[in-house]
Amino acid sequence: MIDPGRWVELGGATPRARWSARLVAAAALAVLAVGVLSVKLALLQVHDGARLAGLARANTVHRVVLEADRGIIYDRHGVPLVANSPVWELRVVPAQLPVDAVARTAELAELARIIGVPEERLAGTLAAADPYGAARVGTDLTQAQELAINERLPELAGVAIQRREVRTYVDPLIFGHVVGYVGPLDDSEVRELGRLGYQPDEVTGKVGVEAGLESQLRGKDGWADVEVDARGQVVKTLATQAAVPGLSVYLSLDAALQRATAQALAAGLVRDHKAAGASVVIDPRTGEVLALVSLPGYDTNLFTHGISKADYSRLISDPNRPLLNRAIAGQYAPGSTFKMVTATAGLQEGKITAQTLLSCPSYINVGGWIYHNWASYSLGDMNVAKALATSCDTFFYQVAAMVGDVTLARYARAYGFGETKGIEMPGVMPGLVPDRIWKQLRCGVPDLNADACRWTEGDTITLGIGQSYLLTTPLNQAVYAAALANGGQVLRPTLVHAVRDASGRVVQSEHAEVTGMVPASAANIQAVREGMREEINRPYNMNYWFRAAGVPADGGGKTGTAQWGGSGLDLPTHAWFVFFAPFAQPEIAMSVFVERGELSEVEAAPIAVQIMKFYRADRDAIRAS
Amino acid sequence: MRPSTWHRLDHLQPVLVGMLAALGGMTLYSAHADWGRQALWVVLGAGAYAAASAFDYRRLRALAPGLYVTMLLLLVAVHLVGRTALGARRWLSVAGFPLEPSELSKLMIVLVLAGYLARHEKLSWRTFAGALLLVVPPACLILTQPDLGTAMVFVAVLLGMLFLGGARVSQLGLLAAAGAVAVPLLPHLLHGYQRRRLEIFLDPNQDPLGAGYNLLQARIAVGAGGLFGQGWLHGLQGQLGFVPERATDFVFAIFAEEFGLLGSLVLLALFGALLIRLLRSAAVAPDRFGELVAGGVLAMLAVQVVENVGMNIGLLPIAGIPLPLISYGGSATITTLAALGLVQSVMLRRRLVVHQDRLQYGDAAAPVAGVVRLQP
Repeated sequence: MIDPGRWVELGGATPRARWSARLVAAAALAVLAVGVLSVKLALLQVHDGARLAGLARANTVHRVVLEADRGIIYDRHGVPLVANSPVWELRVVPAQLPVDAVARTAELAELARIIGVPEERLAGTLAAADPYGAARVGTDLTQAQELAINERLPELAGVAIQRREVRTYVDPLIFGHVVGYVGPLDDSEVRELGRLGYQPDEVTGKVGVEAGLESQLRGKDGWADVEVDARGQVVKTLATQAAVPGLSVYLSLDAALQRATAQALAAGLVRDHKAAGASVVIDPRTGEVLALVSLPGYDTNLFTHGISKADYSRLISDPNRPLLNRAIAGQYAPGSTFKMVTATAGLQEGKITAQTLLSCPSYINVGGWIYHNWASYSLGDMNVAKALATSCDTFFYQVAAMVGDVTLARYARAYGFGETKGIEMPGVMPGLVPDRIWKQLRCGVPDLNADACRWTEGDTITLGIGQSYLLTTPLNQAVYAAALANGGQVLRPTLVHAVRDASGRVVQSEHAEVTGMVPASAANIQAVREGMREEINRPYNMNYWFRAAGVPADGGGKTGTAQWGGSGLDLPTHAWFVFFAPFAQPEIAMSVFVERGELSEVEAAPIAVQIMKFYRADRDAIRAS
Repeated sequence: MRPSTWHRLDHLQPVLVGMLAALGGMTLYSAHADWGRQALWVVLGAGAYAAASAFDYRRLRALAPGLYVTMLLLLVAVHLVGRTALGARRWLSVAGFPLEPSELSKLMIVLVLAGYLARHEKLSWRTFAGALLLVVPPACLILTQPDLGTAMVFVAVLLGMLFLGGARVSQLGLLAAAGAVAVPLLPHLLHGYQRRRLEIFLDPNQDPLGAGYNLLQARIAVGAGGLFGQGWLHGLQGQLGFVPERATDFVFAIFAEEFGLLGSLVLLALFGALLIRLLRSAAVAPDRFGELVAGGVLAMLAVQVVENVGMNIGLLPIAGIPLPLISYGGSATITTLAALGLVQSVMLRRRLVVHQDRLQYGDAAAPVAGVVRLQP
C-alpha cells in the first residue's frame, strides 16, 4: 500500500503496459547502436591504438636536420681559400598546405609573388613533389624575400624557410684545381653515402681537397626533434643534438706563392702562345706542396649549386680541357728531365763513374736504327755532369744500353716514377714506367715473342732519355726534383699543413714521410746534382734567365723537351723543367710543364725562374710557419 | 516548487544533461573553441530548458500548423538572405547573433509531426502519406542549403515517430523498400561534394590530403587516445590542429583522444542513459501527443549521437551533424536544451494515480476515479 503521506516514483515498474513493444524495440535499438559504436571504438583505441598513436606522433613530431657547417680551407698561414655564405631556401610540404582549395590557391599565389616565379610553375613543382616531403621551391632567396616570408610565416601553412651554407671559392682560376669544389650528391652517391648518414640534399666534395679531405671537412649534422602543428609551424622543440662543424684544414699551400706560380705560368703561356701547363712546388724537406697549379683553370663556383647544362657542355667541349688537373692527372713523357735517373743508374751500377768520358756524337746506330742527338754535330767527349748540362742524348743512349731496361726501370721507380703516393686529392694518375715485362703484358697478343711484344734495344736507349713509353705527371716530377734536392729521399707529397677543430686545437699535423730512398750512394747522387747545377749555369740560355730576373743561379735544374704522339722526326713536343734551390740546402723543388712547349729552355725554365724570384723575395714569410 | 511538481520531475535527465554539457565545455576548452560564448549558449539554453519545462506542451499541439509555416519561412529566408560559410548557406543574422534555422527546424518538425500524428490513434495510409508530405518540403529546403546531415535527422525523426506512433508493419516495409530503392539512386541526387564524401568514406586513402584527410586525421586522433587517453589538453592531434572542425563536427575525436576508450565509453553511457530516459518519458507520457514529442526528441538526439560518433570513428559517412550538448554552436545547443525541456514539460504534466492499490501514471486530462490527492 502506498502511504498517503508520501509521493513515490515507480519508474518502469508500472504494471500498466505503457512500455509498449515498440518502446522496448526502440530501447533495444538504442542499446544496440551504442554497443556497435563501443565495439568500433574499442577496436580503434585498443586494437589499432598503438599504430594510430604512432601515426599521430609522426604527424606532429618531426626530426629536423641541423646541417653542420663545412670546415674552411685555409692556406698554411690561415688565408681562407673558401667561404661559407648563407643562403635561404623556401621549402613547402604539400601535405600541410590548406586543404581548402581557395585558401590553398591564395597561399600559393602569395608565395609565387614573393619568390617571383609563375604560379603555375610553383603549383606544378608541388604537384610533382613528395606530398609529405619538404620540397625546395626557391633557392637563393634575397634577404628581402626571406624577411617577407618570415613575416607571413604564421599565416602560411606548410611553409618553412631554411638557411643553408653555400660554398664560395676564392680565386677559383688560381686555387680551383687544388681546392676543388663541392656539389650535390648524384644518384649513386645517394645510395653509397646514405649509409654514412648523408642526406639526399647534402653536398659532398667532388674533386680537389674538397673531395680528398671530405671526412675532415664534412662535420657531423645535428638534429632537432620538433613538434609541429597541422600547419607545419614549429610549436616547441623536444630535443636537440647540436651539429659539429667540420674541421678547418690548413693546406700546405702558400697562397702568395700559389698566386705567383699561377701568374708566372700564365705569363709564360701567353708569351709563348701556349694554352695549357702545370707547375708543382714542393718543400724537399717535408714533402709539403707549396703550390700546385694547372692551367687553364675554371670557375669552381659554377658547381656549388649543380652546374647548368650549358656551362657544363662549354667546359667539357673546350679543346684546352680546363677540367683536367694536369698537375696530378696529366701524363706525359718526361724527356730529358729523366736523364738524372739514367745517370744515377749508370753510376750506381758501376757502368760509369763521375769521371768516365763518353763521346757525344750526333747520332748512334743501334741494330741498324739511327738514334739522333739534339745537335747535328759531335759535342766531343764528356763526363756525366757535362752530359747532363748539355743534355747530350747520345751519351745517355750509351749509358742506358749499359744499364739495361730492367735496371733502368727499377731506378725510375725508386725515384717515384710510375706512382705518386698519398697526396690528399682524388684523381692522381700514376704515370708509367715501362720495361720488357710491361710491354709483353700490354701487347695483347698471345705469342709473347711476337714483334709487338718484344722489348728492343731501341726501347731501352730511348727510355734512357725519358721517351719510349715513359709517362709522368707534373706532381711526379716535383717529387723527383725534391728527391734530387734532398739527396735521394722520395717524400710523400702532402697538401695538409694542419687540421684544426672549431676551438683552434690542432688535431692533425703533417710530418715528412719518406716513402722510399733512391738506392744510390751520396757521392753518386751528388755527381748527378753537380750536373744539374752546371745546367742552370750554362752561359747562353739558362743563366740568362736568372740574370734577367735578378736571381742568383743557385740550385740545380734540368730541362726536358719531350716528343710525343708517335715516332719519327719533327714530332710535337712538351716542355719540362725540374728545379731545386738553393743548391747546398734546398728549400724548394719544383716542376714546370708547358703543354706543346717547343723549347724547354725558353718556355719552361723562365717560368721556374720567376717562381724562384718570388720565393726568394717572400721566403721569410713562407718559412714563418 | 510544489512537492507534486518536484516529484513529477525526471530528476535523472537534467543530471545527465548537466554532465554532458560539462564534458562538452571541457572538450571545447581543449579544442580552443570560444569557450565563453559557448557558456553563454548553455546559460541561454538552460533558460530555454526551464521555460520549456514550465510551458504546458499541450498548448503546442494547437500551434503546430503555425510552427510549420514559421519553419518553412525561416528555411526559405535562409535561401534568400542567409550567410554563406564553407560553401553552404545556413545562417541568418538575428540581432547580431548567427541563427541556424536548420537546427531549430529539427525540434519544430518533431512538434509538427507529433501534433499531426496525435490526431490519429491508428495510422491510416492517408495519415501515413500526410506525414511524409509534411516532411518533404522542409527536408528539400535543407538538402539544398546544402545540409545533408540535418536532412538525415528529418528522415530519422519521421521514421522514429512513425514507428512509435504505431505505423503498420506494411507501412514501415514500404519505407524500407523506398530506402532500398533510394540508396542506389542517392549518388545521383547528391551534390558533388556529398558524393565525394561518400566515396572517401568507402576508401579514405583515395585522397589522403584532400577530402579523406579529415576522416583519417580524426580516426588517428581517436585511436591515439588508446585505453586511457592522453589527458585533458594533451591530445597531440587535437591540440596541434590536425583534427578538422575540432569544435563542431569532430569534437568527439578531441574527446576520445584526450579521454581514451574509458572516457568515450562513459560518454556513450551518458548518452545511452539519456536516450533510455527519454524513452521512459515517452512511456509515461500522459497523452499521445506527449508520447510523440518525447519519442521525436529521442529520435532527433539518437540519430545525431550515432551519426556524429559514427563518422568520427569511421563507421558512418561524414555529414555535418553536431554532437548534442558537446559540439560548439548556439542554435544547436539551445534547440537541444529546449527539446529536453519540452520532454520535462511532458513529465510534469502527467498525473500520478492510484488504481487498485497500485500507483500508476494516468492521462492528466482523463477523469480517473480515485485520484489520490496526496498533498498534505
